Amino acid sequence: MAFRSKPLRSFGPTVIPHGQIENTEGNVTLGKIDHGVTENPYERRFSPYDFNGGTCIAIAGADYAVIAADTRLSSGYEILSRNMSKLHKLTGKCILGSAGCKTDVDQLRSVLDIKMKVYQHNHRKPMSTPAVAQMLGNTLYYKRFFPYYAFNVFGGIDEEGKGAIYSYDAIGSFERTAVTATGSGQAYVIPLLDNVISHRNRTDEKRDLPKEEVVELVKDVFISCGERDIYTGDQVEIAVITKDGIETIMFDLKAD
Amino acid sequence: MFRNQYDTDVTVWSPEGRLLQVEYAMESVKQGSACVGLRSNDYCVLGALKRSVSELSSHQKKLLEIDDHMAMGIAGLTADARSLAKYMRNECLNHKYVYGDNIPPAVLMSDLADKHQRTTQTYVRRPFGVGLLVAGVDPQRNSCHLYQTCPSGNLYEFYASAIGARSQSARTYLEKHYESFPASSKDELIVHALQALAGCVSGDDELTKENGSIAVVGKNQNYILIEVEELQPYLDKLEIKRNDDDDAEEEESEDAEAMET
Repeated sequence: MAFRSKPLRSFGPTVIPHGQIENTEGNVTLGKIDHGVTENPYERRFSPYDFNGGTCIAIAGADYAVIAADTRLSSGYEILSRNMSKLHKLTGKCILGSAGCKTDVDQLRSVLDIKMKVYQHNHRKPMSTPAVAQMLGNTLYYKRFFPYYAFNVFGGIDEEGKGAIYSYDAIGSFERTAVTATGSGQAYVIPLLDNVISHRNRTDEKRDLPKEEVVELVKDVFISCGERDIYTGDQVEIAVITKDGIETIMFDLKAD
Repeated sequence: MFRNQYDTDVTVWSPEGRLLQVEYAMESVKQGSACVGLRSNDYCVLGALKRSVSELSSHQKKLLEIDDHMAMGIAGLTADARSLAKYMRNECLNHKYVYGDNIPPAVLMSDLADKHQRTTQTYVRRPFGVGLLVAGVDPQRNSCHLYQTCPSGNLYEFYASAIGARSQSARTYLEKHYESFPASSKDELIVHALQALAGCVSGDDELTKENGSIAVVGKNQNYILIEVEELQPYLDKLEIKRNDDDDAEEEESEDAEAMET
């Protein structure tokens, strides 16, 4: 059957010449290649990517780092698992949290694990957190023209014992920040974190938060996020990284 | 008698049916300083006597990590050993990537032995001049193993073994005590390894925390290397043990004298 550029009945968006896409409401959005990911349940051509949902956040403290992610794995409007971890321990002092396409995330982690082991063989010590951060950025850029569909937050303790977190885009641009969030619930969570952690638009005194308070805050943040984002829910896995090790806390969210 | 005529190439047989180049390579192993290995059901311990060129220089590392579940001790040409270690590390990582689990040591050792053999049957290469003691844990059978390779490509599995200079004394010690190893604890195994090594030092030297080193892998134990300061407590246990043995020997000789009339 000849390939049609326009379906017989206009269910999904059609590709209009000049690269504009019209959806069923008749709104026109400018030149995007839709991978059939979040906007359109009907795929017009094979997309190598799927979006498996979820939200990851990370917060750096004076001597700790908190990294948290929900445990829901979804595809389209279906839930594939309520108990799939998005956090991956890379060394005893740092954890990678990733949302996006799970198979790309898994592959990225396999590649990182190997590179880190090679480093350990050659340097006879585990990689430091800033070194891993740089390597992750490089690894992502290596696939600049067929990216890992992985939206990462990376958190740990640096060589001075301070909390260090880094946020990434899919092609390896990264930055060390104090607070970050990524994934489907990113837009719900970042404004809240900006206010409470980064102390934006507040008139009271800024103070350093202890890690216990931050953990409670993270739970509240995920409750809010889970209310509105369909891809976030089920449970939150919270990892608190200090120089003494990694402590993991599980917290239940709504399963709807 | 015929040695000199038939020893130029590795591909030449001697009239006695020997490959002299391979045997010369095995001599190189005997020149290296001692390395011992022993195992129980839960742990596998490697010990090595590190040689230093002069008082000013560092001691040559002899125990290498291959993976979380495998350690390697070397005797002979260090550079050859490092090249083999690189190969083995790569194979381990590859296996983990493809199959999601640690490589069974037996599989890797089999490939390693073949790698050694290939060098004995071609013009353009020479045998590896190094003997290896490889300690590993099989993830599927949940068992500990100790293997030895030599330049000829022969592969043996051992309960306990020693290679390198003056290693016969270590082998004798291990033969005497190996039946107690399966039930031994990790610390006891380490002390046994050090005791075996202590017999391999040359002349006036003694086994110290500078020139001794221990590596351990086990069923619930990822590779660890015990050197310098961490080694001292085990060396202290060694002294006590040696004193006990000396006392026991003195008592025996006294009894013998008493019996002579």
